[in-house]
Amino acid sequence: MNLCQQNANSKEAKMHNSCQLEKEFINKWVQGLQICNSSSKKMNLLERKKKIKLSADIAIASAKNLTTSWSKAIISEATKDEQNMTLVKNVCGPESKFMYAHQKVTSHKRTTSKKILKKCYGVHRKMKKMEPCRGSNLATCIAKRLVKKRTQVLKRLVPGGELMDEYSVIKEALDYILSLKVQVDVMKNLVNVTTSLS
Amino acid sequence: MQESQMSLQDLQNNTDSFDPTVTNDDFLDQMLSGLQTTVSWSDVSGGDGDGGQNKSTLPWDVDHFDDQSAILSSKLRQHQITGSAGGRAPASALKSLQLPRGLGSTGESGLFPNDNIDDSNFKSPMGDNSSIQNLFHGFTGSLTSNQTPQFRHLPAQTFGSPGAAAAAVMNQVQAASVSAGGGGGGAPSQPRQRVRARRGQATDPHSIAERLRRERIAERMKALQELVPNANKTDKASMLDEIIDYVKFLQLQVKVLSMSRLGGAAAGAIAPGGAEGGGRTGRSSNGTVSSSNNNDTMMVTENQVVKLMEEDMGSAMQYLQGKGLCLMPISLATAISTATCHPSSSRNNHPLGSAGGGEGGGPSSPNMSVLTVQSANGVSVKDSP
Repeated sequence: MNLCQQNANSKEAKMHNSCQLEKEFINKWVQGLQICNSSSKKMNLLERKKKIKLSADIAIASAKNLTTSWSKAIISEATKDEQNMTLVKNVCGPESKFMYAHQKVTSHKRTTSKKILKKCYGVHRKMKKMEPCRGSNLATCIAKRLVKKRTQVLKRLVPGGELMDEYSVIKEALDYILSLKVQVDVMKNLVNVTTSLS
Repeated sequence: MQESQMSLQDLQNNTDSFDPTVTNDDFLDQMLSGLQTTVSWSDVSGGDGDGGQNKSTLPWDVDHFDDQSAILSSKLRQHQITGSAGGRAPASALKSLQLPRGLGSTGESGLFPNDNIDDSNFKSPMGDNSSIQNLFHGFTGSLTSNQTPQFRHLPAQTFGSPGAAAAAVMNQVQAASVSAGGGGGGAPSQPRQRVRARRGQATDPHSIAERLRRERIAERMKALQELVPNANKTDKASMLDEIIDYVKFLQLQVKVLSMSRLGGAAAGAIAPGGAEGGGRTGRSSNGTVSSSNNNDTMMVTENQVVKLMEEDMGSAMQYLQGKGLCLMPISLATAISTATCHPSSSRNNHPLGSAGGGEGGGPSSPNMSVLTVQSANGVSVKDSP
């Protein structure tokens, strides 16, 4: 019974958090959309979709106030492209977030070089791993390999996930899922509203 | 039996990466679903979301439960708590535990007629082991069809040495069944002792740090379990699978929603004037992006999609998205195809209707229907990833 109560409490807290997040997201997203639309008049479907998605991503990322690393990853990714700078600036606010974004880029370089080194040694490690895989151990070896493969996929999915170790990836994925949910809910509601309006 | 014990030791010994949850659950899977696959667990709790919630606290509460049997019993208890759906689980679990013995006995009873028939065969050619082999093969067949690979080894080993006389044969069969049953019953008790011994030794900081790390990961997975639907999997790999699918699905939803009329309408509602004009022109260019009129390709695509849908809804949707198509309820499709007054607006309505339709099924299950625009023009909304 206590577990149920705890679950309920945490759910309420989560809902409160997500409501706040939704509000911030809407505000920032609207800002971003206004900026996008004011810049160019004619866009085809693809461009429009990209702009919308971009503004939504930046909005949700900045709504997090750079507390999570996936949000930082999104913003640093966006700032790489010069066109998006104005969008990012206006949505995020002209703070020192860009400095941080640039820092992230350099750390990315360091980690990629580390990854290359790891790969060289990784082969050697794999050879070592394969030897003690007897029949009784085989199941655990396979299980570990499965989990490892999936964590790799997850790392690719979550923005900025490749730079983190598996434990942080899970944490980030948690947060990212929450924010994606917020995005989707807001978008859906907006769609419903606009259809009912017209 | 030896192999199961050894494997458990090895599982416990694995200090690097993943967690006792994997080891516990492998062991549990073997024991509880011994004769069935692990589908039994997900079947039971797949139905009710609440059951999943209640059970979710369990598999990774490594703090509270120190030995395998306690985990076992608590899992059964949790299943019981979940009610009728859960009621099936302990019954099936108990059944699966007893079945190794039961099978032995049924194997015996099933084989006795064979023994009677084959007695004559035994008595005449004493050196003829073929009939004995048939007996054993039959027994092995009945056992192996239901059991995990570990148990499969047991009959094979005991059958390796058949006796020459009929009495010896029957004794062997009995012994094999007893050992199979004993293996099932003994395995939970013996590894339990070994687990305790192992854990008592875990006082050095390295393993403590490892355990801490594993517990943190387990905590996170627990929290994720509450977020992700269908998160009744006890296995870390399948949990990760669910998480990955869910993230992909949400990202796809965002993409589709941003493709819809949303942007144009939102901009129009918020910043009237120039933006609206831009939005309208954007919308009108929607329908004429691409057209595919070939019926053959549509059939091939349909078959592909059906095949994919059987495996996994998410991959089917991705496939469709790659082709620039979507799924739609038939009623909506007919409604749209008959609508002739506002072709552009009707096309734009599709994503909305579909999103609303898919929503009803459950907010987070990847059964979102996007749509097939099978309108008279054969226009399809193309999206280049």
